[in-house]
Amino acid sequence: MTVPEQAFQYDLRRSLSSRPLVGFWRIVHGFRKYYFSAVAALAVSALMQTASFLLVRELVDHILPNPEQHHLLPLIAAGFVGLAALQGAFSFLSGRFAARTAEGLALRVRHSMYNHIQRLSFTYHDKHQTGELISRSTSDVDAIRKFFSEQAIGIGRILILFTVNFTALLTMDASLALMSIIAVPLVAIMSQGFFKRISNAYERLQEQEAVLATRVQENLSGVRVVKAFARQDYEREKFDKQNFEQYRRGRRFLMMHSLFWPLTDVICFTQILFSYFYASSLVINGSLTLGSYLAYVSLLTMIINPIRNLGRLIVDMSTGLVSYNRVMEVIRVDLESLTDGSQHPQGDLRGDVVVKGLHFAYESNHEVLHDIHFTVKAGQSVALLGSTGSGKTSLVGLLPRFYEYKSGSITVDGMELKTISRGYMRQQIGIVEQEPFLFSRSIRENITYGVGREVSDEEVITAARAAAVHDVIQSFPEGYKTLVGERGVTLSGGQKQRVALARTLLKNPRILILDDATSSVDSETEDEIRQALLRLMPGRTTFIIAHRIQTVRHADLILVLDKGRIVQRGTHAELLAQDGIYRQVNDLQTRIDEEVEKEVNDVIGLPV
Amino acid sequence: MSSDFQYEEEEFDSQINGGTLLRILKVVRPHWRWVAGFLACITFVSGSEAFFTYLGKRIIDDGIVPGNQTAVLQTLELYGAIAILFSLAVFSFIFLAGVLGQRVRYDLRRQVFDHLQTLSFSYFDKTPIGWIMSRVNSDTERMADLVTWGMLDVTWAIMNISTALVFMATINWQLAGLVLLMIPVLVRVAIYFKARILTEYREVRKTNSKITASYNETITGVRVVKALRREEANLREFDDLASHMYRKSFRAAWLSALFLPVVQIISAVAIGSILWYGGYQATLGGMTIGGIQAFIAYITFMMWPVQDLARVYADMQQAVASAERYFSLMDTQAELVDRPGAVEPGTLRGEIEFENVGFHYLPEKPVLKNFNLKVKPGETIALVGPTGGGKSTTVNLICRFYEPKSGVIRINGRDYTEYTLEGIHSRIGVVLQTPHLFSGTIRENLRYGRLDATDAEIEEAAKLAGAHEFILSLDHGYEEQVGEGGVLLSTGQKQLISLARAILAKPDIFIMDEATSSVDTLTEALIQRGMETLMRNSTSFIIAHRLSTIRSADRILVIENGGISEMGSHAELMRQRGHYYNLYTKQFRDELASHLDPFAHNVVVQPSNGATSTGEHPVSNEARVVAEPFA
Repeated sequence: MTVPEQAFQYDLRRSLSSRPLVGFWRIVHGFRKYYFSAVAALAVSALMQTASFLLVRELVDHILPNPEQHHLLPLIAAGFVGLAALQGAFSFLSGRFAARTAEGLALRVRHSMYNHIQRLSFTYHDKHQTGELISRSTSDVDAIRKFFSEQAIGIGRILILFTVNFTALLTMDASLALMSIIAVPLVAIMSQGFFKRISNAYERLQEQEAVLATRVQENLSGVRVVKAFARQDYEREKFDKQNFEQYRRGRRFLMMHSLFWPLTDVICFTQILFSYFYASSLVINGSLTLGSYLAYVSLLTMIINPIRNLGRLIVDMSTGLVSYNRVMEVIRVDLESLTDGSQHPQGDLRGDVVVKGLHFAYESNHEVLHDIHFTVKAGQSVALLGSTGSGKTSLVGLLPRFYEYKSGSITVDGMELKTISRGYMRQQIGIVEQEPFLFSRSIRENITYGVGREVSDEEVITAARAAAVHDVIQSFPEGYKTLVGERGVTLSGGQKQRVALARTLLKNPRILILDDATSSVDSETEDEIRQALLRLMPGRTTFIIAHRIQTVRHADLILVLDKGRIVQRGTHAELLAQDGIYRQVNDLQTRIDEEVEKEVNDVIGLPV
Repeated sequence: MSSDFQYEEEEFDSQINGGTLLRILKVVRPHWRWVAGFLACITFVSGSEAFFTYLGKRIIDDGIVPGNQTAVLQTLELYGAIAILFSLAVFSFIFLAGVLGQRVRYDLRRQVFDHLQTLSFSYFDKTPIGWIMSRVNSDTERMADLVTWGMLDVTWAIMNISTALVFMATINWQLAGLVLLMIPVLVRVAIYFKARILTEYREVRKTNSKITASYNETITGVRVVKALRREEANLREFDDLASHMYRKSFRAAWLSALFLPVVQIISAVAIGSILWYGGYQATLGGMTIGGIQAFIAYITFMMWPVQDLARVYADMQQAVASAERYFSLMDTQAELVDRPGAVEPGTLRGEIEFENVGFHYLPEKPVLKNFNLKVKPGETIALVGPTGGGKSTTVNLICRFYEPKSGVIRINGRDYTEYTLEGIHSRIGVVLQTPHLFSGTIRENLRYGRLDATDAEIEEAAKLAGAHEFILSLDHGYEEQVGEGGVLLSTGQKQLISLARAILAKPDIFIMDEATSSVDTLTEALIQRGMETLMRNSTSFIIAHRLSTIRSADRILVIENGGISEMGSHAELMRQRGHYYNLYTKQFRDELASHLDPFAHNVVVQPSNGATSTGEHPVSNEARVVAEPFA
């Protein structure tokens, strides 16, 4: 089975519209022929069914009363089977076309959602929760799929059945036809009104379901506290209260439901009784044939039954529309382009970075970097020293164009950063973070993640060796094939970091960003990681984020940041010669040593 | 798709097995009246549906054909009367079955929740919360659906087919026999399609969970994806997955679309034969026109349940799988239970003694070996040492969250397993490193410590813990909502509340795992004071990270490699110049470093109620007064 290519070649943003129905119409682009084929096949199928009712009329009116016509009976039977076969074949075709439309569109939306999400800017991801995005990508997409496979076709089905069968009725007896659809508007109005209430009750039920789930979640995540205070009974009581409320709301929801169906039934029965009575008097009067009466009974059922489902369909459609809007809210957000920019450097960067008069704010009102100036030559290292919130991470986050600066300039090899494509910059930059993220794949796949080419085992092992993680990997049951995460091994912070280092080594970037890479590991591994980092740095422009002097003292340029400003700059030696924060930090060590000695002597000198 | 891509996969292919079904039925037993009620109603509904068709025949044969208007009217009157009963029965069966479903779900959830409360720590250590959550949420739902709508579908199907056959037989038994012949063919076709469609659906579900996992990883790892420019490769992988999903769901959809017409054609063959054969009979007087019409209606009528067969079967299969998981959870035994004849300890304020205690979570990895310790009533013990050395295990054993694998722990000179669990837990106050609060107000969270505490007692405890001032500074004071897990409060604030909660419990033994994360100096001082209140009144075990705590302890244990490597007072241990000396001086350095750090003045202070306060003077005047004794 081939996958329809048009699913991938459509920019979902082209379907954006303030009116969801228009949006739906646009989304179907490329699948319209399938959709209309589905509806057309459905119409043929309905016609065949109606024809078979008329065939029965023929049988009763013209063949049964005349024994000399009885040789036609097998023909009638064959005709009946033939019509059923045609009806079946077309209903199958319709189902197949509908499935192609619905599944193809689901594929289109999934593809676009996934791509869109991974290309949305950080500014977006910073503000939106994972669970929320996932539910939009899964349940909402499924609701859209259902809209096309069930509701869009369902509406077509109801309209077609109504038109075909009503037309057949009209040809039989116009007044009878009109008398037979009195219930239709009544049922439609009632079901719409009812279903609004039902869906409200359902929503309330769902809300309580969420409350109950949270209750269980809290109990489970707080199990230590529950047990420590021996509060099991109290917890049971609290749970029972919510559980009972759920039961109460469920009962109310069911009450609405169980009222709706029989009430519709009463209307429909009234219609049926009335129609039977009227039609039978027509036959007795002689103005309608017996065969027509038989056909009439079947046609009536085919009109009334679908109408009973109209209300449910309308409500289901509205949930489909809600889901559509939720998906489109994501699609509507602008992507960051990976290929924008007027500069298209060939080959690798050298790595000269010049920053001038740079100001930066995540949100327009709160500036986190003020008037930053500095110059780094290719291959040099720059250390950024400062406390949490001083702007270090924000500054280096600008280089791979994770965020956009509004004023000032950053040039790389003499080109303005904004004019170089994000894709190119990110290829040239390697980042080692404090808490690297690993994927639940094998260790090998994590190391080669994002390299974008076939990597030999030797290369992987060399990288792992250089990152001082090869031996650790070898000790795992399946070596490099060992899975990371829940289904595999749990790596310690230091191990994760070294895997991330190996990943960066393979990538071989021209600019390296070490974001507090050694602060959260214990002293043994810290040394190994530092060694590995030192091997990584030569020949690359390196940005080191740190808050300890030891980490930064060898840097070619040290920038001391405070509240988004550079308050001091220079080499270790130069900064020591100045009066300022840097020297204070440096002197700290000596001061601490003195204090420790004093403390120890105080304690030991105390009489026991 | 990458070869070893991992995902969370549920088990989908459980065979429907009798034992589990029987157990499910037991769950429904207390509500058997409801079951009987809705089954009676659905039987009536199904029977009258068949009867309506029969009445349709009567209208034709006894009314229209002989031209007897009164007969038509009489039949329609009967029709109307039954229609009213029918509507009532529809109302009743939806209501009864629905409410029964709600009741069963309520019961199942209550039972599983009760059961969860009895399970031991070891269970929760091993079992992901998400797994338990799906048992409580979705599996109970599916089971309730099975005993209501599932049972309803099955009853309806059986009733539909059998009443249709009975009515057909009364009209013309030879033709009814002909229809009966059709049934085995239908069953074979249905089984064939069922198997194929189910296979596709299973694959669809599996793929769907992979798709969800894929979204999840890309979103949580979006930083790495962007930094490593993995977008295109990711999209290729995802498209493979989504295309697989497309193929499978498309196949499942068209197979279902094929099933229906095939069933219809089989029934058309049956109807065709009836028209043919019945047509001859009609002239011979063996079959009426109304009879032919009724046969057509009955055959169509019989097809409905057959069309639904695959769906109903798939639902049932899933429900049984759910039930199996649910029962497996219910069958899990608590590892720790009261021994026969366990007694109330009365008080735990006696001597606590560890004698040759050994413990392990996994047999091949012992955590404590030959651990010996005697603690005098009211003593304060600080536990220090490296991560994984056995500190947490030691306090978990004291709390009897676990029991020693070898050796004995004695409280008041008696093996503590002779006491009831409840008796021990209710006399212990625990403050965890990451304090857990429950959603609700601050007052409710404090009252968790002692359920019968008065408001005055609660505020007294909050005052002792140093939490009173900050609570009053909140918009709603003690009635402020803390959010799920306490997210609306800062870590420091949560710690103060959990201290107050422990103070309110008036525990005999106080256990605290000090937070390693930094809190501002003021909060730190308040926490210290709260701890002192508790330490004065209880025998205390503190996993200590702060120098002030360590220094003020009566005794310090250095726990390493599953045993006590050094023990004594602060001064004694310092003089030994061993592990403790090193640990202490390192800690002293770190604390000094953070204290003297010239950057420290603008470290972001704990967020409170979403507002982030930065700056040099985060301390309100009111709070400063409290802090003074420690300044």
